[in-house]
Amino acid sequence: MRGRTALVIGLTVVIAVVIQTTLFGRLRVVTPDLVMLIGIMLALTRIRTEAILGVAFLSGLIMDLLGASLIGLRAVVYTTVAYIAIRTRERAEMGGRVTIALWVGLLTLLGVVLLLLIGTLFGQAALIGEGAVSVMILVPLANVAVAALFAPTFVRLVDRDRTALRYP
Amino acid sequence: MLTSKQSDRALPTFITLLVIGVLLMTFDVRLEGGGVVAVLRGGTQAIVSPMQRIAAYAVNPIANALDSLSNVASLREQNAALSAQLAESQAALVAVQDDLAKLALLEQIYDLETDGAELGQTVANVIGSVDAALIIDKGTRNGVLAGQPVIDTNGYVIGTVESASSGSATILPITASRDGLTVLVGSQTGTLVTRPFSSDLGLEMDLDIFDAREPVLAGDRVLTSAASTDYPAGLPVGEVIEDASPESTSLTTTVRPFVDPEALRFVVVLAWPPDPVSAATDDTIPEEVTDTTVAEEATTTTTTPEDDG
Repeated sequence: MRGRTALVIGLTVVIAVVIQTTLFGRLRVVTPDLVMLIGIMLALTRIRTEAILGVAFLSGLIMDLLGASLIGLRAVVYTTVAYIAIRTRERAEMGGRVTIALWVGLLTLLGVVLLLLIGTLFGQAALIGEGAVSVMILVPLANVAVAALFAPTFVRLVDRDRTALRYP
Repeated sequence: MLTSKQSDRALPTFITLLVIGVLLMTFDVRLEGGGVVAVLRGGTQAIVSPMQRIAAYAVNPIANALDSLSNVASLREQNAALSAQLAESQAALVAVQDDLAKLALLEQIYDLETDGAELGQTVANVIGSVDAALIIDKGTRNGVLAGQPVIDTNGYVIGTVESASSGSATILPITASRDGLTVLVGSQTGTLVTRPFSSDLGLEMDLDIFDAREPVLAGDRVLTSAASTDYPAGLPVGEVIEDASPESTSLTTTVRPFVDPEALRFVVVLAWPPDPVSAATDDTIPEEVTDTTVAEEATTTTTTPEDDG
């Protein structure tokens, strides 16, 4: 059971990393941050919080290693976003599809701002700061759309519970 | 274990991971991307790049189609601008062909060899990107090494190879690099630096010339300088888009690079410097002995390696 859940999460992260660095790395308009989104959506599952934080950290680290930015930059940001998601998930779960999507959007916006802020502090502004304003708008919006469509499916897949995350 | 109820260890785990993350960042800064960090990057890229390559086959047509759709609105304006550009380029090409013919003739007369013509080139596909960095499908087994300069198929400068694994490499464009690029504008040498938080629409860089003697004008071409340690001299980088005159002895203006890294599908990695290690340290090359025989009617010069006796 544990192994199967870990396998599902691992596969999802790998697929997200590959899609993020290929398809969404090429598009200028449709630019969700799938890897960050996984960290956020895992907070809606029944997985242990330490495991969620670990997955967020490792997936961020993989993105750091594949790019040219500092190692640990995305790991720190994704972990922080996942932690805040864990702390605020109960409020999100009280609402419906729109509430969860907005919650995801706000967390993504926080993640993007943190990435720009910490990146700038560590001298990475040139690398990650290109089109900062459009990134702050487009990435959260795209994540809102993806979350609205796929959050219930993702949660049910990870929890292996067809009744999980039913909207009222 | 993995799927259980609420845990109270979230905060200690979070703080531990934050500390590890900050340590990693500090470590990376101190190592300047080398050592263990380079090994980790290479290993991760080696694992992920085959999947990225497979994904790119499926993704590229979709990405191209979506890109085209998003560009439909501006196609007419682009067409008009490109037609005008084409006419100008054709006129310039005729002039350049004349110059090339003269150059070839002079080279023939003086028996000159063209420097840089033998540079090894590796053409690679762009299979993805992370932030502003590009991922290509060629790596160390194709001769791509960290630090090598990268140009596009027109010869315009893109950037340098940041890291390379066996089957892929990461390219850091000049527009995303923290290091300044030493360039030549006319007869003046300056430094091209990135403008952080630049807009998607207007890719621009700042040019600083600290010993400016004359103004620079909009349209002046910016080339890589022989003083640059990262690029061969004379590669086109971009053009000046604002006139600027020296203030005291310095001058600052704006340059638009010729290449938009996000629009690239293919890149060319140059094997430059051609042989940096052996050029500096190789002492295994046998010394050459030159025998000159003067005959009554002709002078013959023969060159033979010492090993051959």
